[in-house]
Amino acid sequence: MSLGFKRKLRTAALLLFVFAVVGLLIYSRIVAYSLAPTLKPADFSGLAWYEIPFYYLWDYVSHGWICLLFAFTAAGLVYEFMPKDLIMRYMGSNRITGYLIASGLAPLLTVCSCTMVPFFAGILYTGAGIGPAITFLLMAPAANVLTILLTGEFLSWDIAAVRVVASLTTALAAGVIVSKTSWGKSVENERHVDAVAGQRGTVELAKPPLDERLIAALKFGVYLATQILPYFIAGLIIVGYVTAYMPESIVEGYLTGWAGVLIASIIGGPLYTPTLVEVVVGRSLLQLGMSRAALLSWLMGQPYDIANMTAVSKITGWKVVVTYALTAWSCSVILSLLYGVLTGSL
Amino acid sequence: MKTLKIEVIGPDPPCARCMAVKRIAEEAAGRLESAGVKVEVVKANILSREILTKYGTLVSPAMAIDGVVRIMGRIPTEAEVEELARTAVEERSRD
Repeated sequence: MSLGFKRKLRTAALLLFVFAVVGLLIYSRIVAYSLAPTLKPADFSGLAWYEIPFYYLWDYVSHGWICLLFAFTAAGLVYEFMPKDLIMRYMGSNRITGYLIASGLAPLLTVCSCTMVPFFAGILYTGAGIGPAITFLLMAPAANVLTILLTGEFLSWDIAAVRVVASLTTALAAGVIVSKTSWGKSVENERHVDAVAGQRGTVELAKPPLDERLIAALKFGVYLATQILPYFIAGLIIVGYVTAYMPESIVEGYLTGWAGVLIASIIGGPLYTPTLVEVVVGRSLLQLGMSRAALLSWLMGQPYDIANMTAVSKITGWKVVVTYALTAWSCSVILSLLYGVLTGSL
Repeated sequence: MKTLKIEVIGPDPPCARCMAVKRIAEEAAGRLESAGVKVEVVKANILSREILTKYGTLVSPAMAIDGVVRIMGRIPTEAEVEELARTAVEERSRD
């Protein structure tokens, strides 16, 4: 067999796999098969304590595997095929483009924290400055391929849409506010360098053949899965117990109404929940009676957790961190209350 | 003949994917050396002023060969790195 033929065969096999994954998701939609788990908190009351994690995990895995498989495949493909050199070139061109890319395109790329800090610093140092950098930082955890898909499938698609819009508003507000403060400006002046990004032939990305790119994309998907799934599964086990033993009266008493939004935003913010676990916890709390408005503010608490803030404060100093955390927190409360009032789900 | 410089660009401390790229670069370098090309593999910090000014790389892991970023945001195969390095050597001899 010639090398060219082998290559074509491998490309075909890989494309077939990708289409099969997409097809599975579409098929599951057509037959209205639930991709989210189906057990209710009441179903757990009859189980022994050691049985709970198994039932809970099985409930998630048996329904959610199509969704998880699709999410990790999609994340790998988006990351691999996104024209990174173009993003780099346009990032520095002007402020408006900077905000557009930081809020729209860049978050799609950042499916794990390993890619987030360099990207943040890159935007701050070489490109559009502190405002877009903060926008990106707050937008990334809410608007990447993985979170959008899982929020949509495991919670609901209207919550996913509202989450993206609300996060966008928050991220833009925080970015603009930080860029207007004197400490934000001084960080920008101090850190800015004149980069030659994409000019004078310093960046000429090699384009490998399609089959190698597909393999790289799927490998990255697998890598992401190995990074995220252990936390996801550990989270599920804990959530399984919470769902089984948490009295509904506590959740209904504290996580509804105006106070519910406030409480959810306070515990959802600083508390460090690894990627995607917030969706599972949110789902379980929602079943136990948390209001949808409180759920929104819980989900929006993602970007300003403690781990994230410490990493960023090393680059920008604590004043910038406090400014964006406070802005993001007030925005999440205000927007969630607004959502609650408008949809009658406070 | 001048040494060919391969820079693996990533955060410090390096992420798992950057380590993988560095290992691949070193393996490729080993093969190139036995073919008579001198290669130096270094780890560069993506957050350093020097690297940012020079390349403006945003996505790690990245790899620059002879001062040109050829790989960004992915892990190349050893064969690809070898090929890219050979191209760089050929281009240099043409100049």
